[in-house]
Amino acid sequence: MKKNLIFGGAISIAALIAASGAAFAQKTTLNVGLASADVGVMDPHMNSSTPGKSFLQQIFNGLVRLKPGEISPGEIEPDLAESWTSSPDGKVWTFTLRKGVQCHHNYGEFTSADAVFSLARAATRETSSFSSDYAAFEKVEAPDKYTVKITLKNTIPSLLGIVMNYHAGQMVCKAAVEALGQDGFRKKPVGTGPFAFAEYVPQQYGKLVANDAYFRGKPNFREIFYRMIPSDSARDLAFQSGELDLYYTRQDQTSFNRVKQLPGVKALAMNPAEMSVIHLNMTIPPLDNIKVRQAIAHAIDRDGIHQFRGRETSRQAVSVVPSGYLGTNDKAPLLPYNLQKAKDLLAEAGHPNGITLKTIHTTLPGMMTFMEAVQAQLKRANINLEITPVEHATFHQQIRQNLSQVVHFQAARFPVADVYLSQFFHSRATVGTPTAVTNFSHCKVADAEIDAARGEPDKAKQIALWEAAQTKIVNEVCAIPVNESLQLWAHKDTLDLGYQLKGALNLGPGVLETSKFTK
Amino acid sequence: MSAFLVRRLGFAFITLLAVLTIIFMIVRILPGDPAMVILGDQADAATIAALRTRLGLDRPLLVQYVEFLGGAFIGNWGTSLVTGRPVIGEVLSVLPWTIELTLAALAIGAVIGIPLGVWAAINRNNAIDYFTRLVSLLGLSFPAFVSGIMLLIGLAIQLRWFPVISGQRGTFSQWAMSLALPAINLGLIMAAYITRVTRSAMLEVLSEDYVRTARAKGAPWRIVVWRHALRNALIPIITIVGLYLGVLIGNSVLTEIVFNRPGLGKLIVGALNQRDYTMLQGMMVIYTLLVVAINLATDMVYGLADPRVKLQ
Repeated sequence: MKKNLIFGGAISIAALIAASGAAFAQKTTLNVGLASADVGVMDPHMNSSTPGKSFLQQIFNGLVRLKPGEISPGEIEPDLAESWTSSPDGKVWTFTLRKGVQCHHNYGEFTSADAVFSLARAATRETSSFSSDYAAFEKVEAPDKYTVKITLKNTIPSLLGIVMNYHAGQMVCKAAVEALGQDGFRKKPVGTGPFAFAEYVPQQYGKLVANDAYFRGKPNFREIFYRMIPSDSARDLAFQSGELDLYYTRQDQTSFNRVKQLPGVKALAMNPAEMSVIHLNMTIPPLDNIKVRQAIAHAIDRDGIHQFRGRETSRQAVSVVPSGYLGTNDKAPLLPYNLQKAKDLLAEAGHPNGITLKTIHTTLPGMMTFMEAVQAQLKRANINLEITPVEHATFHQQIRQNLSQVVHFQAARFPVADVYLSQFFHSRATVGTPTAVTNFSHCKVADAEIDAARGEPDKAKQIALWEAAQTKIVNEVCAIPVNESLQLWAHKDTLDLGYQLKGALNLGPGVLETSKFTK
Repeated sequence: MSAFLVRRLGFAFITLLAVLTIIFMIVRILPGDPAMVILGDQADAATIAALRTRLGLDRPLLVQYVEFLGGAFIGNWGTSLVTGRPVIGEVLSVLPWTIELTLAALAIGAVIGIPLGVWAAINRNNAIDYFTRLVSLLGLSFPAFVSGIMLLIGLAIQLRWFPVISGQRGTFSQWAMSLALPAINLGLIMAAYITRVTRSAMLEVLSEDYVRTARAKGAPWRIVVWRHALRNALIPIITIVGLYLGVLIGNSVLTEIVFNRPGLGKLIVGALNQRDYTMLQGMMVIYTLLVVAINLATDMVYGLADPRVKLQ
C-alpha cells in the first residue's frame, strides 16, 4: 500500500513538472520581462512610464516612425503616412496616409479623420500628458480621406517628432475611443500596430496577439506576454529558467558582465542613455557665487564616475544635452577635474575651509550610489554634501518645491536639443513658477538662444544656436553633466528581432512583424 | 452565540471606521503627488494642476473624506488614480491569490510545525529537542526573500522542478506547481513559529496532574500525548496561528515579489509608491476586514478546540 502511494505520488509530481514545462515551449510566443508591477494607464497619450511605453508601442503606430533600432531624429521613415511634405516656412505639413490600414478589433479603416481626432486628443490637457508638446498647433484638418494637414502657429524644432510612434504621437482609432469612452479605451486600447491588445491581468502580464491584418504583413509571433516582474533577481532567474525570452536586466556593469557570460544570451546596452546631471540652485547661497559652482564642477571626476558606473554600460557626459541628440554640443567647455583648482576657487569665493551643501535625494539604488560617489569626490575638495534620502515620489515633489540646494536628476528625452534645453534650462521651466517643468538651477542665461533656435527654419543656424546655448549654460555652471547610463536588456540569442538594435526611444526593444525565433 | 457575534461585529464596525479614518489621513499627509506620478517628470505645473482638479484632489479634505466613507460603506471604492481601473476589481482580482497562499502556508506550517513541536516536547532536553529548536530558530531567522531566492535557485533553476514565475493559472498542475514554492517559503517560516509554540504549550501540559494520572492508569503514551495533552495545548497554538495569519497577509509582499506572484502585499506597495490614494484606501478596507474576520474565526475555533471556552 505504502509503495503504491509513493509510486503514485512520484507519477503525479512528474506529471506536474512535465505540464508546467510545456507551458513555456511555444515557439511563437514571446515572453518579455518588465521591471514593474504594473504598466500604468493603458493609453499612449497618458502613459509616460518606462514599462507602459514598452508595452503600448506594439499596439500603436505614428504617422511616421523611427527606423526600428534607431533613435536619431534623422532616421525617420513612413508609418501610417506613406509620404509627407512641408511648406518652405515649416508651418504647414501635409501627410498622405496609407490606404487600407485596419484598426484592431474591427473598428474599421484608419483614415485622416482618425488622425485628426488623435492629434486633437493629444493636444487636449484632459486627455493627454503631453498636450504642451502640441501648443504650436493652429489646426489639424482632413482635406480628404487619406490626407492630413497640420498648420502651426509657429515653427517647432521637430514636428515629425510629435507625430511619430512615441508618446502622444501614437495614433488612436476614433471609432474605438467613441465606442468605449475614454475610460473604456484605457482598459482596452485599440490601435493599428502589429499586435493587438488581448488581456491585462494586474500584477501578472499584459497579453498582445498578432494583428494578422497588419499593413506591413502578418507577424511571426502569435502572442506576446509582457510579464510584470519588479524584482531584478526574480526577472533574472525567470530568464535563466527559460520563462522569459527578453528582459530588462539589473542596471549595472557587474550584472551586465554576468549576463553576458550566460550561454545562449545576448546582452544589450542601448540608447537612449539617461544622463545624470547635478543641478545647482543658483538662488541659494553659496551657489549664487559662480566661483563656488566652478569649484564643484572642478571637484567632480567624470572619468572616475564613468569607471565606477561601468565602461560598457555608461559613458561620460559631453554637454548639458546628452550625446547623440540633434544639436548636442560635443565641444561644450565642461570644466575639467582639478582638485587644487576647486580648492583655490572656494578660497577665492571666501570659503577657504570648504562648504556644506544639502540635497534631497531619491532612495532609488542606482541614483543613490551615483550620488554617494559624487559625495565622496566632493569631500576631497572640502565640499561636504549632506544627502537627505527620501522615497522617489517624495523626491519628485520636493525638488519641484525648490527645497533642494543641489538636485541630481537622471533623464532621457526626445533626442532633439530643444527638449532638454527647454525643460531644464529655460527660465519658463523654473521650479516654483506656474510654468515650471524641471529647471532646478533657475538658469536663464540661454533663453534667447533656445527661443531663437525653436523658430529657426535653417537647420544649420538652428544647431549653431543650440550649441551656443549649451556653451552659455556650461560657462554659467547652472548644472554639471556627469554621466550617461545606457538601457540594459538581454535576450536569448535565438531571438531575432528583425533589426539591429542600437536604441529604442520607447525604452524597450520593439517587436516587429518580422521578429521571430531562429530555433 | 448570536449575542457574541453581534458584539464582535459591532467592534469590527468601529475598528473599520477608525482604520478608514486613519488611512485617509495618513495617505494625504504623505509627501508626494499622485498627479505628478501619473503624468511623469516632463509635465508642466499647469498640466499637473489640471489633473489634480480632474482627480478631485484639490477639493476640501472634508468633502473627500465624506465621499470616501460613503463610498466605502456601500462598496464603491472608486477607481485607481493611476490606472483608471476600478479599485474593487483590482483588489478582488488579487485577493484569491493572497488567500490561497496564506491558507497553503498555514497548512504547511501546521502539518510540519505541530508534530515537530510535540516531538520536541516529548524529547525534552535531548538531541531531538535541540535539533528541532535549532531548525525552528533558523526558520525564524531567515528573511523570506533570502529563503525564496534559495528555493528558486535550487528547485526552479538547478532542478527545474518548479516555474520561477509563480503567478500562473490554467490547469490544476500549473496552479499547484506555481503555488508550491511560495507556499513552502512562507509555510516553513510559519512552521518554525508553530513548532516553538507547540513545544512550549506541550511542555506545560505534559507536566499536568491529569497527564500523570492518565499514564498511571496505563493509557498508551501515544493516546496521552495526541489526545489528552495536545488538545489541551491547542489554545496557545490557535492564538499564535490567528495572530500570525494576520501578519502573513501583510508580510507576504516579499514572497509575492520574489516569486512574481500577484497579491495584496504587492498591490499595496505599488499603490504606495504611486500615491494611489483610492487604491490604498480600498486595500486598507480589505486588510481590516480580513484581520477582523481572522480574529473572529480564531475566537470561534477556541470554542471548538476547548468546550470549556464559552463564546460570551
